[in-house]
Amino acid sequence: MGKSDKSLHIVLLYCLTQLGVIYFVYPEDIIASAEEGHWLPVVLGIFVNLIVTAAYMKGLRYFPKQDLIGILTGVGKTAAVLFLLPITVYLFMVNLITVRAFAEIITIVFLSNTPLWSIIALLLAISGLIAMNGAFSIMRTGVLLGLLFLPLMAFVIFMSFQNADWRYVFPLLDDNLGFLTHKSYLESLFAFATSFLFLGFVQPEFKYSPKKVLLGIVALIPFYLLAVYIPLLTFGRATASTFKFPFVMVVSTIQINWLMFDRVTMFLLLSLISFTMLFIALLIWQTGVIVGRTIPKVKMSYIVTALSVVTFIGCVMVRNWEDIEELFLCNAVLRLYVWLIVPFAVYLLGLREKRRSGYGNR
Amino acid sequence: MGIAKRLVLGFAAVCLAIPLAGCWDNTDINHRVLPVVMGVSKKEGVFRVFLQIPEPGMNRLRIRIVSETGNTITHAVDKISTNMEEHVDLLHVKIILLDKNYAREGVNDSITDFMRAREISSKALVTICDEELPVFFANVKRAMEQRGSTLYDFFEKNAGWNPQIALTRVWQVYRSIHSYTRDVAIPIVRSGKSLMIEHRGSAVIKNGRMVGRLNGDETLLFNAFSGESTQGRIEVMKSASVLIVSNTLHNRIGLRGRTPYMTSVLKLQVVLLETRGNPTNEVIMNELDELLTKRFMTMFQKIQSKQADILGIGQFYRMIIPRERLANWREDYYPRLEMNLRVQTNIQNTGFLNSP
Amino acid sequence: MEAFLQELKRSLGSNDDLFEMQYVFLGQVVTLLGYTTLTDISMTVSSLQQQEHNARGSRVGEEAFWHTIGSVHPLSVRLAVSAVLDGQVVLLIEGRTAMIVVDAVQRELTRAIEAPSNESVLQGPIGSFNEDLDTNLGLLRKQACTDSMRVLNYSAGVAQRKRLSLIYDARHADADMVGKMIAQIEANLDREIATTQTLSRMLGFTKWQAISKFNTTELPQEAVSAMTKGKVVILVDRLPIAYVLPNLLWDMFALENDRNYTVPIMIIIRTIRVIGVLLTLLAPAFYVALVAVNPEVLRIEMALSVAVSREGVPYPAIVEMLLMLVILELIIEASARLPKSIGPTLTMVGGIIIGQAVVTARLVSNMLIIILAATTIANSTVVGFQNSLSIRMFKYVTVILAAMFGVLGIMAGMVLLCSYLASLHTFGVSYINLSFKGEIKHG
Repeated sequence: MGKSDKSLHIVLLYCLTQLGVIYFVYPEDIIASAEEGHWLPVVLGIFVNLIVTAAYMKGLRYFPKQDLIGILTGVGKTAAVLFLLPITVYLFMVNLITVRAFAEIITIVFLSNTPLWSIIALLLAISGLIAMNGAFSIMRTGVLLGLLFLPLMAFVIFMSFQNADWRYVFPLLDDNLGFLTHKSYLESLFAFATSFLFLGFVQPEFKYSPKKVLLGIVALIPFYLLAVYIPLLTFGRATASTFKFPFVMVVSTIQINWLMFDRVTMFLLLSLISFTMLFIALLIWQTGVIVGRTIPKVKMSYIVTALSVVTFIGCVMVRNWEDIEELFLCNAVLRLYVWLIVPFAVYLLGLREKRRSGYGNR
Repeated sequence: MGIAKRLVLGFAAVCLAIPLAGCWDNTDINHRVLPVVMGVSKKEGVFRVFLQIPEPGMNRLRIRIVSETGNTITHAVDKISTNMEEHVDLLHVKIILLDKNYAREGVNDSITDFMRAREISSKALVTICDEELPVFFANVKRAMEQRGSTLYDFFEKNAGWNPQIALTRVWQVYRSIHSYTRDVAIPIVRSGKSLMIEHRGSAVIKNGRMVGRLNGDETLLFNAFSGESTQGRIEVMKSASVLIVSNTLHNRIGLRGRTPYMTSVLKLQVVLLETRGNPTNEVIMNELDELLTKRFMTMFQKIQSKQADILGIGQFYRMIIPRERLANWREDYYPRLEMNLRVQTNIQNTGFLNSP
Repeated sequence: MEAFLQELKRSLGSNDDLFEMQYVFLGQVVTLLGYTTLTDISMTVSSLQQQEHNARGSRVGEEAFWHTIGSVHPLSVRLAVSAVLDGQVVLLIEGRTAMIVVDAVQRELTRAIEAPSNESVLQGPIGSFNEDLDTNLGLLRKQACTDSMRVLNYSAGVAQRKRLSLIYDARHADADMVGKMIAQIEANLDREIATTQTLSRMLGFTKWQAISKFNTTELPQEAVSAMTKGKVVILVDRLPIAYVLPNLLWDMFALENDRNYTVPIMIIIRTIRVIGVLLTLLAPAFYVALVAVNPEVLRIEMALSVAVSREGVPYPAIVEMLLMLVILELIIEASARLPKSIGPTLTMVGGIIIGQAVVTARLVSNMLIIILAATTIANSTVVGFQNSLSIRMFKYVTVILAAMFGVLGIMAGMVLLCSYLASLHTFGVSYINLSFKGEIKHG
């Protein structure tokens, strides 16, 4: 079972988790970061992501029999702590932020009467259950969710062109690259900085072809562009920049006369939230794997439960949206560390390993 | 086995959760009041909110009108909610009726609040009432209870809408508040004598404030220009009347120094309905061209003088004028715009008779 | 000899249908032992006499004669008991320490091959399995008609010894999986296998499965098609169904008999089944969610008409829904219990209750009745009764979550269900695989 190639599962999981993240805060950040020619920041981000992911996978290739934790602990105790501790903290914080932010979005959009803690509990309980079953189960859940919700999402995205005014595309080029230093642009990179990590966790059990993963990232480009451009086309930059969730706003303007449902927003959000649950499950699982390696005696299901409970308590302690944004900023350093340093570190370790084994053979 | 334990635990959790279902107040649909129309007027800083609530009985539709004052719209709605036996839910408000005077004063804040709160759908239509709201609602209620229809039907694209009505939704008004290059037109209505409701053209809204009016014929041209279909409209001229079957618009734009110019060609497909005397096709076409061009230019001058770009002409200049200067489109460029409209008519058929 | 006979009788207990007779064959006094209810004694004896006559004629020796009438074994109480329970006759010869298990003429205790009673077949082979294992094996052989079919026979259980056959197609089945199954069965031969539950204990599955690990079928056609897809079929004596392992999600929607139609029709039929499952899971949940939590999702026209129909219903939507669902389950269960001749009465009474009376009495809204009817009908489109039971159960999860979280709850329920399905696997094969030869993807 473990021998066969799982590229499709893995690419799908990667894509779904990305889709779950990019339709909320990402468009807002990109729209805020640039006045015009928004495709450039989007494509640039994806390009960097491509390089980072490629380097990461290249590094991982040199250790075909180990996962990320094995590679890092193989170097030495200090290095392991130096790398794994930030990753763990980072994953945990991302988890906390995601759960809390989504709970908030859900209350804003459709459950104004439901207490926040119950929504957080629901998100964490289901994600925890998925995580308990292990990596392969997460992937298969991804396949089922994809089959159920991707068509729904495609339908909504297709319909969201309803009010598009193509003239808002112009001007296509912005001659200054001011967005690079814009705070929002750096925040937008959050979208990329987490999903790729799991490629290092599934490694020895499941084989995948790095080329297909990269192709998957390339295939996602239109979705990033749509996430940013549909709000721009419908509202224009000046209006779109006033929204917290521009894409959700666009969807709520869709009017479909033949549908028995009035608010199509719901369907998009449901699809996205289901993907996000998958994302949260993946985060919990990864954190659980790292924690499980340090205390190997405890069963995985207990670790996952404990993590979910801790996250729940953390989420309840966050009071408002400003707190979330603050947490998000606090997390920024870790994010850059995990996104830029870890992959290249793995790559360099891989090169070293290759040289060493090369000597060994001779 | 782990799965078994998990299942049991999950089931226990679900069972424990059942009593929780009642904890947060989810009101069933029959205990909610779902207003369809909301009227808002403002006098001396105090809002007065009208809600038109359909109360479907077993056989016929009853309509209930409630109103209340408050310092804000939500305050007023909240007062209504406390005084009514059921929970007022604005989720289904389809039409927002603004008092004319309030619209002149500027509705920016209200529109922004509608967009902010999730309750009122951003798809709700915005209209302006040409008479006092209490009078309007009283008349409409009387007319409607006899007919059993709702006000909403008048604006439904697949029901009572016709090309003289400008359909504008909350999000479009909101967009016009922020956009550099786009204003909107909002339909004006009043209660009719014999008919339930009477259209009185549309209001030109610039940055959230009503600055002028268009009549029905002008609104038609506005709709044609915005790409809405004008199908079904009958144009009456001196020597004939025709039915417009379809319309397309082609624009050419340019910029001479700081003077933008625009040439638009409106292509109409028409069907001949009536003739007076024996006009040739050419005569009819020329007459139509003359009529529409003249009407359009009158309308255009009207809105140009108010610096309100309801046609969204500034949109076309997005690729020519850089963004920072486009921000001043309404003041710097738009008043100087040279507009040129040509109408090309094609008589698709002349009915069962040969053309005269 | 006497001692052995006494012990044998003691192990069989004092039964009035146990016979013990003495005969003389070729000058030897023999004792025959067996059950009159399982064997036809007079036929058996006359056949033995016929054989003795033949033996005399052809001057066959005594020793050779014993071998022709049955299998000669050394004295063994255990073997003798199981032979007698199997409907054979034990023959003991005076003064010898051997016994002969004679293949006796059986009483006709099995029904003939009939049309299936739990599945219906449209335009396809309708002969179905019955209680007799050998008949069933024969049916399979005849249907498959292939040289690669392999049959392994076991006898399992202590209190009740049952025969069990494991059948697979050597050309298609994964040797690993079959090996695992054989090992599992051989290690647990002392477990009882009288029911599906005990059988699944024997195969090492947990008792708490919401979805059966087996796909059951009464039709040889389906069983054979499963075998050619690499699955393993298990037959148990006295159970007129074939257990197909592993059960996959797609089996809920696909029937081999669909292939007796053209491809477009097959696709449409299967799509309908998928819609049926989704409708069962979603329709009641949507009603609860839209009425109680998220009325803004409905169009205003719908919202108003639902509101009218719910006017005067005294309890929340979830209670209304659960109440009617339970009544409906009762009707289904009751009509399964009742004899066929009384069944229609129940349907009629049930129809009156849910059709008109509840609505008129303002206990539930008539919108709910529509939803319920649609759900019940949709629920029955699934292939396999055990699958329809599982789906029937799952819909409560979505309904309860919907009552709490509205549309979000429905989505959460679906995610929960998906993750549950994804976590199931049987002998290393995941439940959601379309086929496990190529792995990945379901349809």
